[in-house]
Amino acid sequence: MIQLGNSTRGALSRERDVREAYAAHSGELYGFAVRSLGDAGLAEEAVQETFVRAWRAGDRFDPKIGSLRTWLFAILRNVVIDLGRARAVRPGVAEGGIEPSVEPLEEALLSWQVEEAMRRIGEDHRRVIVETYYRGRPYAEVAEELGVPEGTIKSRVYYGLRALRVVLEEMGYED
Amino acid sequence: MKIRNDCREWRELLGVYALGQLKGDERTGLEAHLEGCAQCRAELALLAPVAQMLPHADPERFEAAAPQPPPELGARIAATIAGERQKVERQHRRRVFGGFALGGATAALAAAVLAIFVLGGGGGGQPEQHVKFTAVPKGVNIYATLEPHAYGTEIRMYVHGVASGTLCTVSLRGPHGVSYPAGTFRYRWGDDSEAVLSSALDLSRTRAISVRAGNRTFVAPVGRASIAANTNEEEPT
Repeated sequence: MIQLGNSTRGALSRERDVREAYAAHSGELYGFAVRSLGDAGLAEEAVQETFVRAWRAGDRFDPKIGSLRTWLFAILRNVVIDLGRARAVRPGVAEGGIEPSVEPLEEALLSWQVEEAMRRIGEDHRRVIVETYYRGRPYAEVAEELGVPEGTIKSRVYYGLRALRVVLEEMGYED
Repeated sequence: MKIRNDCREWRELLGVYALGQLKGDERTGLEAHLEGCAQCRAELALLAPVAQMLPHADPERFEAAAPQPPPELGARIAATIAGERQKVERQHRRRVFGGFALGGATAALAAAVLAIFVLGGGGGGQPEQHVKFTAVPKGVNIYATLEPHAYGTEIRMYVHGVASGTLCTVSLRGPHGVSYPAGTFRYRWGDDSEAVLSSALDLSRTRAISVRAGNRTFVAPVGRASIAANTNEEEPT
């Protein structure tokens, strides 16, 4: 048996664990970082710093307390705050064509969660919620456009909200 | 108004109701149904918080493709962590083996005495042991950290200064000189990482550790009971 590194440290302390965590969660973390920092370069920096901090503190991660995903997001939240502060004293560094978020961080996190959940539900469900709720179009009009009964549109809204609930719970949402 | 006797049909209106968009008779009928249906009230209680979260999302954002991290970011993070780990390991070695950085005769004497030293912190209440090979050519450094486990002994080897690509074969020696293989690795120039190997021999019964690097074998004693000088054994021809 030969391997490099110290195999006796806790979860996420091994580089292999970090690679697995990166494969599982980097997309979401990056998405939130872009959403809250508004800059692709800063978002990369934030994700990198998140995994480095997670590796340094790997011994302290306890899956009994919370999921790895929740823990990584808690670290990212702090990183984003730090980068936001740094940017505040270095104005004009945010570039990259993405509108920076001006909302408080908790609001940005909530918005990102709902947007990410909307991405993950089925196209049929997402479409009826977008058309009827976000665009305010009459149910009859949407039903006609899609060639289905109005009752089907209403039931799709119901199943769409249920699907959203499931996805949000998978992302750590609790009442 | 459509007659709805089926609970499921009422339930399928709960989404529109939770969004505040159910009007007229349908709204009145559903509210009457909710009065008498605990199941539908419970379902509404699950949907209402989700409906209240919708205003926080911007459809322009979620209808666009989700931003993806650049493909090289994972490798960059892995390299950063590997670099930091090696830095920590070097600091650890300097701290642990720093006592050997003495000069001349003092160093030789100190090495003979300090070749074996024991630090706390190993598993199962047993200490791990740090061993420095002292009988090595100038410019060569070999360190080993031995940690007891249920299966035997974990050996973390650090070799520096031998020719790049040298095959290193590690064994533990038990009582009566019986040798227990621990594994092999190749030293690569510029690679400061440790090779982690294992042997079935219990640390408590380990008397010495040997490293055959190329055609030379270096031996260092292990354990308090077996204080002996490091030896540099030429490979028999």
